[in-house]
Amino acid sequence: MTINALELTRTQKIMFSTQVLRKALRRFTRHRPAMVGLSIVCLFVIAGIFAHALAPYDPDKADFALARQGPSAAHWLGNDELGRDMLSRLIFGARLSLLVGLIPVSIGLFIGVPLGLLAGYFGGGLDMFVMRLIDIMLAFPGILLAIMVSAFLGPGLFNLMISVGVVSIPVYTRLARGSTLAVKEEQFVEAARSIGSSHLRMLRLHILPNIIAPLVIQSSLQVAAAILSAAALGFLGLGVPPNVTEWGTMLQKGRTYIFSAIHIVMFPGFAIMFVVLGLNLLGDGLRDLLDPRMSR
Amino acid sequence: MSTIWTKRSFVIVGLLVALTLIATACAAPEPTKAPEPTKPPAAQPTQPPAATKAPEPTKAPEPTKPPAPTATPRPKVLNIVSGTDIENLMMHRVTSSPSFTVLQHIYETLFQITPDGKIEPLLAEEFKATGPTEYTVKLRKGVKFTDGTPFNAAAAKANFDWVLKVENKAAYRSLVDTVTDVKAPAEDTIVLTTKEPFSPIQIHLTHGGIAMVSPALLAKGEDALAAGAIGTGPYKLKEWKKGEAVTLEKNNDYWGAKAIIDTVVFKMVKEDGARLVAVESGDADVAVRVPPAEMARLKTNKDLDVNVTDSLRTIYIFFNVEKKPFDDKRVRQAVNFCVDKKAIVDKLFLGAARASDAPIVPAVFGYAQQKAYDRDVAKAQALLKDAGIAAGTKVVLHHPTGRYVQDALVADAVRSQLKDCGLDVELKTLEWAQYVPAVRAERATNTTQFAMLGWGTVTGDADYGLYSLFHKANHPKGSPPVGFNGSFYDNAKVNELLEKGRTETDLKKRAELYAEAQKLMWDDAPWLFLYSEVQVTAIRKNVTGLVVHPQERLITFKADKK
Repeated sequence: MTINALELTRTQKIMFSTQVLRKALRRFTRHRPAMVGLSIVCLFVIAGIFAHALAPYDPDKADFALARQGPSAAHWLGNDELGRDMLSRLIFGARLSLLVGLIPVSIGLFIGVPLGLLAGYFGGGLDMFVMRLIDIMLAFPGILLAIMVSAFLGPGLFNLMISVGVVSIPVYTRLARGSTLAVKEEQFVEAARSIGSSHLRMLRLHILPNIIAPLVIQSSLQVAAAILSAAALGFLGLGVPPNVTEWGTMLQKGRTYIFSAIHIVMFPGFAIMFVVLGLNLLGDGLRDLLDPRMSR
Repeated sequence: MSTIWTKRSFVIVGLLVALTLIATACAAPEPTKAPEPTKPPAAQPTQPPAATKAPEPTKAPEPTKPPAPTATPRPKVLNIVSGTDIENLMMHRVTSSPSFTVLQHIYETLFQITPDGKIEPLLAEEFKATGPTEYTVKLRKGVKFTDGTPFNAAAAKANFDWVLKVENKAAYRSLVDTVTDVKAPAEDTIVLTTKEPFSPIQIHLTHGGIAMVSPALLAKGEDALAAGAIGTGPYKLKEWKKGEAVTLEKNNDYWGAKAIIDTVVFKMVKEDGARLVAVESGDADVAVRVPPAEMARLKTNKDLDVNVTDSLRTIYIFFNVEKKPFDDKRVRQAVNFCVDKKAIVDKLFLGAARASDAPIVPAVFGYAQQKAYDRDVAKAQALLKDAGIAAGTKVVLHHPTGRYVQDALVADAVRSQLKDCGLDVELKTLEWAQYVPAVRAERATNTTQFAMLGWGTVTGDADYGLYSLFHKANHPKGSPPVGFNGSFYDNAKVNELLEKGRTETDLKKRAELYAEAQKLMWDDAPWLFLYSEVQVTAIRKNVTGLVVHPQERLITFKADKK
């Protein structure tokens, strides 16, 4: 068949990409806020992964005699409303809260991106249909939509992740569509089309790689939003079952004691705050890194 | 969109940090451990199960009798923040204590139970058994409903007829359903005839569900009853804003001592914290259902009195005795041995509750103290082993949330304790409106293993507290289910004793019958016997004479505000 003279050879490609990668990495390590964000996130990820080794107590072991006790030498962050160790619960909660952040984002990515990609690429009736559907979803405030989906599916960990994931679909669809529309008009796409590439090849090799940057950035921010949404749903009683340790649920249960034992709400609140802060810093860093206009 | 959101979230997060830091700084000097409650679990378990034993009187000061100073230029308004709205305005249909609290300011019953447990005449003057199945009630003269209709024998008969008519769906028809005939031989006399001798009848006439509604209003039908309220009480309805507030206004033509407060507002504030803020800031004068953990803090507030009054409400977890694994008595007893009621009361309620030692509370006639199931994990495990229950067996516990004080917390505590004994509990909760029909569904559709509920024996009599919940005649039937024996408990001996208790007229013998029935129930353990509630109410110091009734009612008739 035809050999495309413009295409780089395999080795050239690899050399180019390592070069770009090295440059990008250097820029990233110099980006202080991004590094702070990354270390915060890593800290929580490590805490979640090694929860069994790190947690000083069984997170579900209740000692009523210690109920609502403030921080002490034995229990650094105090005890919750049933006398369980707050620190251990936060460490175990990290595991679940991070999952609650990542899984909905994956759901949003895997459903939202293909929809946006197809709508933007083919246009016409399909575009019209998909975008009106998305408009309907966007007409509802995110948290309300999540509540509706949760109420429909019932409470539970899995359903919580689905509902938060569903809410993030429109964001990805619009982003993917917009970027596709822009990339579609580029010369290299025209070139590819002129040599008779199939639609699948066009989407896979030419469009998708070129719209990935905004999606990556969006995802890092969306993880934070998902944790917050999950916490809000947990706060409203639509979150995880009570025997599962999760920050949002801890916050919800503790709010009764906000006057008399504030540490029960404060520490889960701080945990959520720091993870969200870390992810936002990381996301901003990635944006600076991947946006060509910011590279100077 | 997302970047804007991010920046805004930074600001919010920053504010949050600042706020929490300030809050911690403020909260720091506060003692986290609450001091002892003023009143340890009120009823002393050492007391003998004497008949008509009264609960401790409420702390509310003795009201001054004569109506307050003559010169009161400004109308007095009492604001009460309550956690729950009234269900509706139909006195004969409501079932919850928040509704009765409000409506019993407007409607009155023939007799009433005083806070210390005595039966007193209210719209009646005298009660006499004039035959084995015939009861004569002499009515108070000169009483008028607020629409001008006189209260007389015809009015009382109209009310009984309305309640007894099945199609009217009166919630507490069962309290008087043995009445076969109501006669009005004189202007001030009614005669009730029953199928068989019925000893608790006078007590049942104190129940708000049998209060006297204006016959003119009754005649107008359901829509009128739902839209208004016309009674004989010290207050009349001014306005009900659904979900917001009920406003009552003083009835200046009241037959008895007139109220001092001109306007009483029951405002609905669901959040515990928000209610406290309202009463602390002075926006409200009274806040009901103070969370136990906040008691100690409120007591240090020099503008507030914290009223602690016993309640007639028992909180329990009932087992479906027909469903595995709780069809085995040993398993039910094991659960009773495993859960530490004392620790729940002392540590989670800080003493603002009383560990149950009978299915009813000491203030109820017929109460007989039983030997408590003290926590004994080894014994519980042995019983479970005996019954062939493997460690790690999964069971589902249904529980309400926000209906009773700390209900969800207690369910979680029970779950955590049963884990120590080898039962793996999954908690399930539902909205209150769906919860009750689900956990008390009729046999064919019932999937409940065990579930948490509460029962206020507001008549102060064991018949209402035991017959309704443990007799086989009250197994739930139909949909929505009728019948409160959700355990499907059926012990022939207990059934017989409870039936005898209804017809026995000798009080001493009645008490003995109930004592024997309770002993059998206690051993059969169709419930995980938990605790009885204590009402904690925050009242501003300038309010006097407010009565917190053990029936879970706030009574403002003699209250004053300075």
